[in-house]
Amino acid sequence: MSRAGSYLRHPFWQALGVLVGSYLLFKFGIGYVLPAIGVHSAPVPSSVLLQYMLTVVVALLLYVSTNEGRWSKFKEPLRQVMVDSDKRALRVVLLVALPLLVGFLTYGRVRADVGAPASLRSIHPAPPNQITFRGETISLTGLENPLREHGSFEEHLAVGATVYVQNCMPCHGDRLDGEGPAAHALNPVPANFTDNGTISQLTESYVFWRIATGGRGLPVEGAPWNSAMPAWEDLLTVDEIWAVTLFIYERSGSTPRTWEESSEGEGH
Amino acid sequence: MVGRLVSAAPLRSVALPSVGSSRVRWVGVGIAVLLALLLPVRLAPAQDAASGEAIYRAWCLECHGAEGRGDGPAAERMLPRPRDFVGARYQIRTTASGELPTDDDLMRVMRDGLPGTAMPGWPNLGDQEKRDVLAFVKSLSPFFERETPEVLQRSADPGGGADRAGAGREAYGTLECARCHGEHGRGDGRSAPTLEDWRGFPVRAADLSEPWLFNGGMGADAIHTRFLTGMDGTPMPSNQDALEAGVVTEEDLWNLAHYVAGLGPAKAPELEEVVRVERREQLPGGPADAAWDDLPSFYFPLVGQIVQAPRQFAPTVDGVWVKGVHDGAELALRIEWNDPSNSPDPGWQEWQDKIAAALYSDGAPIPAEPLPDLLGVQFPMTPPDGRARPYFLMGDRRKPVYLWLWHSRRGAVEGRATGLGTTEVVDSGAGLTASAEWEAGRWRVVFRRPLADDDDGVLSFSEGDPIPIAFFAWDGSSGETGTRGSISAWYFVGLQPPTSNAVFVAPLVAFLVTGGLGMFAVRRAQKSYRG
Repeated sequence: MSRAGSYLRHPFWQALGVLVGSYLLFKFGIGYVLPAIGVHSAPVPSSVLLQYMLTVVVALLLYVSTNEGRWSKFKEPLRQVMVDSDKRALRVVLLVALPLLVGFLTYGRVRADVGAPASLRSIHPAPPNQITFRGETISLTGLENPLREHGSFEEHLAVGATVYVQNCMPCHGDRLDGEGPAAHALNPVPANFTDNGTISQLTESYVFWRIATGGRGLPVEGAPWNSAMPAWEDLLTVDEIWAVTLFIYERSGSTPRTWEESSEGEGH
Repeated sequence: MVGRLVSAAPLRSVALPSVGSSRVRWVGVGIAVLLALLLPVRLAPAQDAASGEAIYRAWCLECHGAEGRGDGPAAERMLPRPRDFVGARYQIRTTASGELPTDDDLMRVMRDGLPGTAMPGWPNLGDQEKRDVLAFVKSLSPFFERETPEVLQRSADPGGGADRAGAGREAYGTLECARCHGEHGRGDGRSAPTLEDWRGFPVRAADLSEPWLFNGGMGADAIHTRFLTGMDGTPMPSNQDALEAGVVTEEDLWNLAHYVAGLGPAKAPELEEVVRVERREQLPGGPADAAWDDLPSFYFPLVGQIVQAPRQFAPTVDGVWVKGVHDGAELALRIEWNDPSNSPDPGWQEWQDKIAAALYSDGAPIPAEPLPDLLGVQFPMTPPDGRARPYFLMGDRRKPVYLWLWHSRRGAVEGRATGLGTTEVVDSGAGLTASAEWEAGRWRVVFRRPLADDDDGVLSFSEGDPIPIAFFAWDGSSGETGTRGSISAWYFVGLQPPTSNAVFVAPLVAFLVTGGLGMFAVRRAQKSYRG
């Protein structure tokens, strides 16, 4: 049996391997490797990473301790380091290095630094029952996109496409994924319409409201002071807003929520 | 894709028969492998211009236009304008000047996009779809039928990086790069205000200190490629003739490539949300004081103000670098940004008119006179209570913003705004001062103000609490004024409290406790095993 093979079969080294491997997977695999090969993904936040790693540690301990032989074999390298006289040098190094590492990490935490406050906001705050559009009252409850019933769908779509590229594209992007050329400088980032957490969760009347009144029309829980979304009632007509609404659903392959199924859950 | 699907079939068919000698089977496998290797080559890139046209109509037409002339409905808000596929002058190529790009050149642009422009990469289109679009785009110009472009042979990068910068700087002078790009590469050369592309649209000389926005990508190799291929349709020439005539050497061009690559950071600056304002015994003096040098620098991207009309879709200022320091009594912030013109400057009048003609088509009045450069630094009027802040674009009626307004000829004043275009000057008596310096395409403005303010209505700065800050910049020589300018989101300034020795207590305790526990565990283990 080769030396490498005996390491591979040893429960201690197996556990260590799984621990390091899963850390690398969570830290780099999900956040960086997946996007590199074209799968939509994002880096795992450190608090979530800590949770994942704790779960892995618990699972590993359960695994090594369920079998008596495996458990004693698992403990063997630990015992050697702590007890064996020929491991004395390693023991001293570890006894100094580990506390130093802990001290250093603690220093990083307590060092005085002024951090940005958490920016909590409701992403889809509850909409009002009615809005005023250039002084005219529009009731949102039960409101459907009138362009789906009237006129030529293709023509509405063409109008919507032009409105979109002239006005929305700089932020929401050519691909409707919220990655337009101006998006990187905005906070919050523009909505990604191809994500099924955005417009496919909403009725078209909700989308109309968000377009018409923009950031300034948000309630306080939506952090209106940060939103770069213009109030399009200043720049577009009602029909243009309905046309661009049609366009973003059509082009992103999303379907709007309808009033029947959303009468209770509207607005989260 | 097609090739891979087909090649899988023969492999499966040899695996099925289980009879026959192993030798026969191996021959079968060999043939299958050969077929698998050959098939993709024989079937691949069938480019289908008809299917490409459908994709073009869905995704490309809005910018590049129904006939591919670069004049779609979105085009008039972009600078540089979208490519005209009929005229077929391509900037980013690997072919000699005056030639068409290769298929690979065009595929690369579709895959990665062009940094610093509105052209994104298209990961949502598959490889075959991109090839189809390629076929269609090429069919728009008769030139592609007549010519088969070939990659221009270049020498390999001899390496040496920063060691070549000194010699590269000399080549920068010999080749007169500064004439457009300016002495320090910030796009402020004396010809810069006159530059235009082959269709007469104004072209900004590339700011070489912001390589992450280079259309052809960053790094010495990409830069060297641009030197030799030129950027057709723009004033950027090819140096291939100069090289062949012996006016410059291979060595010169590589030196220059490494010099240019070193004019900016090796990667795009990362965004941090808080300007860390360190506490020092003494505040630095003017903008160029060396005492600023060792303070950390924070980058904030700016984009055009397109929220409220009249809008600016392609502004000059694309970011600010901020440094901050305080001494317990006074705060000093240095804001630095690149702007090729020290406005108002009559030398840029022609440029201002061209930008207005190219971009400001919304019917709003266009100022004809030379305009100043301006910078607005926004804060909330009072420290935010809870999360609520003023609207990031100059506040609103309920929550005004407190402004530091700097004017390139008149210096700084304090102001108050309740929305875009509502700025009023207020003298709070807080003692705001500013000193500014424009040097070779870069503004540096130092603002100083006492931390505390006697006027209860005006913001006081205090240690510890992060205070929201946002920026608004105007380049007068591009006709920017009023709501036309560059904006940022809200960020923060955080004044560091003085470092106390208390921060070392917790790490020391953690060190001792961990060490003690370790020793204890080892002792116990040794006792139980030996005993």
